[in-house]
Amino acid sequence: MTVALDRQRKVITGNAAAAYAAMLCRPDVVAAYPITPQSEVIEQLAKFHADGDLDCEYVTVEGENSAQNVVCAATMAGGRAFTATSSYGLVYMYDAMFNTAGYRAPVVMINVNREPPGIHAVCSGQQDMISVRDTGWVQLIVEDCQEILDTTIMAFRLAEDHDIQLPVIVNYDGYYLSFLAESVEIPAIAEVDAYLEVLKSQPSRPRLIPGEPLGCGSHGIGMGYVELRKKHMAAMERVKPKLEEIDREFVQAFGRSYGGQVEEYRTEDADIVLVTSGSAVGTARTVVDAKRDEGVKVGLVKLRLYRPFPVERLSSALAGKKAIGVLDRSICFGWDCGPLYMETLAVTPRIGVIPMLSFIDGLANMDITQEHISRMIDDIHGASRGLPYQEVTWLP
Amino acid sequence: MAEQRKRQPKVCDYYKNEDQFSPGVAFCAGCALELNLRFISRVLGKDIIFVGTPSCSAPVLHGQNAAAWHRHGYYACTMTGVASSASGLTRYYQKAGIDATVVCHTGDGCAQDVGFQTLSGAAERNEKMIYITYDNEGYMNTGIQQSSATPFGASTSTTPSGSASRGKTTGSKNMPLVMAMHDIPYVATATLSHLEDYAKKLVKAKEKAKEGFVYLHVFCPCVVGWRIPVDSSIQVCRAAVRTNYFPLWEVDEDGYRVTQPVKDPRPVGELTGMLGKFKHLRDEELAILQGQVDHRFKVLQALCAGSA
Repeated sequence: MTVALDRQRKVITGNAAAAYAAMLCRPDVVAAYPITPQSEVIEQLAKFHADGDLDCEYVTVEGENSAQNVVCAATMAGGRAFTATSSYGLVYMYDAMFNTAGYRAPVVMINVNREPPGIHAVCSGQQDMISVRDTGWVQLIVEDCQEILDTTIMAFRLAEDHDIQLPVIVNYDGYYLSFLAESVEIPAIAEVDAYLEVLKSQPSRPRLIPGEPLGCGSHGIGMGYVELRKKHMAAMERVKPKLEEIDREFVQAFGRSYGGQVEEYRTEDADIVLVTSGSAVGTARTVVDAKRDEGVKVGLVKLRLYRPFPVERLSSALAGKKAIGVLDRSICFGWDCGPLYMETLAVTPRIGVIPMLSFIDGLANMDITQEHISRMIDDIHGASRGLPYQEVTWLP
Repeated sequence: MAEQRKRQPKVCDYYKNEDQFSPGVAFCAGCALELNLRFISRVLGKDIIFVGTPSCSAPVLHGQNAAAWHRHGYYACTMTGVASSASGLTRYYQKAGIDATVVCHTGDGCAQDVGFQTLSGAAERNEKMIYITYDNEGYMNTGIQQSSATPFGASTSTTPSGSASRGKTTGSKNMPLVMAMHDIPYVATATLSHLEDYAKKLVKAKEKAKEGFVYLHVFCPCVVGWRIPVDSSIQVCRAAVRTNYFPLWEVDEDGYRVTQPVKDPRPVGELTGMLGKFKHLRDEELAILQGQVDHRFKVLQALCAGSA
């Protein structure tokens, strides 16, 4: 045993944090295929496995599509399974992802955000996660290395919950978080065992094992198909309150909270709000504080849950505000704006028509700087005061 | 007077288990798959876990809503995910200490084309499972399109015989040999005219799957796609063996061997003459096919001699 499985604080990269979290949750099966900027996740897991710290079946698959099928089937047999990917790998498992979600397989997957194929790029961007938003998976996005570790643990708790039984992706920005080393508190494995213990007392889900004539993957005919789709949708909706509940449990167990579906930062008395996700949130906090010092009543909403879309929490955070800006690290083909922006626009019936601005920044590892966010806030502020504004702005 | 006892065929010794399939199943009249599945079921027993995919076997192997045609455990997945899904199952069973035999059952289109990468990967990892390919030489369920198992000259819906081209222009992949090159514990070919040979191979496959990856390639005529009479599947299988078009062989740690040697192989024309998909074949085209059959058998013989 080389890794101390007691609680410890270490300076580790985002990728290492993901690997620690997965290891602490004791997966039965891990499927591994490398892709930049994810590779260190599976390398660290291989090291844990080789050193006897991770007792699992470590399957060195020949491609990400296979990785997804391995973990889906393993969970259908009754196991806990984990994989990690990014970008090209994520889209390569596209057909298998539908399988996993449709089977209600509680797979947990790390996706290190990177631009997908189309324009060859080995760099950060959220387009990959956007491109799989309709596969029926739960999607979370995190801000820093601690949150990577904590959210991955929460992801197993969420995915395997009897009320949910859906696969979960934990997304984090490639390069900005994958290779960033931060001080991270790593729980003791016994603490994680205790946190996940509640799952054992829940009703068990069906499992494909010999001796129990059970089929997985039946043809859905007519209303049989419709029923499954409706149930899947309903399970998605249950994720929203469940994530809040899980966050409360997490605070009790580990002393850290992330606010559940969204985190609201200085929004209560704000006139204007910037909505964003991922590592840019860290930068945005700094700029929001600076603008507040200048007298601008600006707040920040950090979107943690992307699928299902946190309609209610977002509406309540944005209600009564004078103007909203949404910062996307991706684009929405066909709508000429950012995708999170487009989905935020859809809450208009709940909050009334107010100026909403789309900011597209951070594609292809172009930094989202404090100066950029300052300009965004100025634009939102101008809009809130009735000045003419541009609906969609690409930065830099 | 000595009692005339009706002697049962030896293959019946292998019928250790009840057929788990329902009496009526949704296969075409005369389809070899019905015999194939019922046979596997009776020889290997009810506790096998089938892994299947969209194919001719899917309408029977997979359920419909909450109903099923059989009582085996099964896992259905995309064609791209058969061997990988089976890997997930078999790895978990090992982790959990569950004794299980995972049996992939796919057509040639899946095994040799769209699912090949994942099959090759699983074999390289020596995953513990039996992978059975039923080879009807095309994508039959979707309407008789060609696959990499379709032989040279065969007419299919995507390689039809017309005035500008005359059937498939390339030969088939020698899939069982490709799988043998993965150096897995056991590879064998089998067909339904030689059931005792097939039964022995299934029993051996189950044993060998405890060590690692087993691949079985089964010649299965398609009544509709090959345009043959509904009651002729078995004769077609027999002709395939007798012409050395589909030799019955196996390879394990002791080497290669032909399990049903054919003393005087018949010309392949005796097989193609039975099949509507070859009815357009000219003598020179038949000669090309014969050349491919002969070459392939020579390679097999060399491997057998090399193992001796």
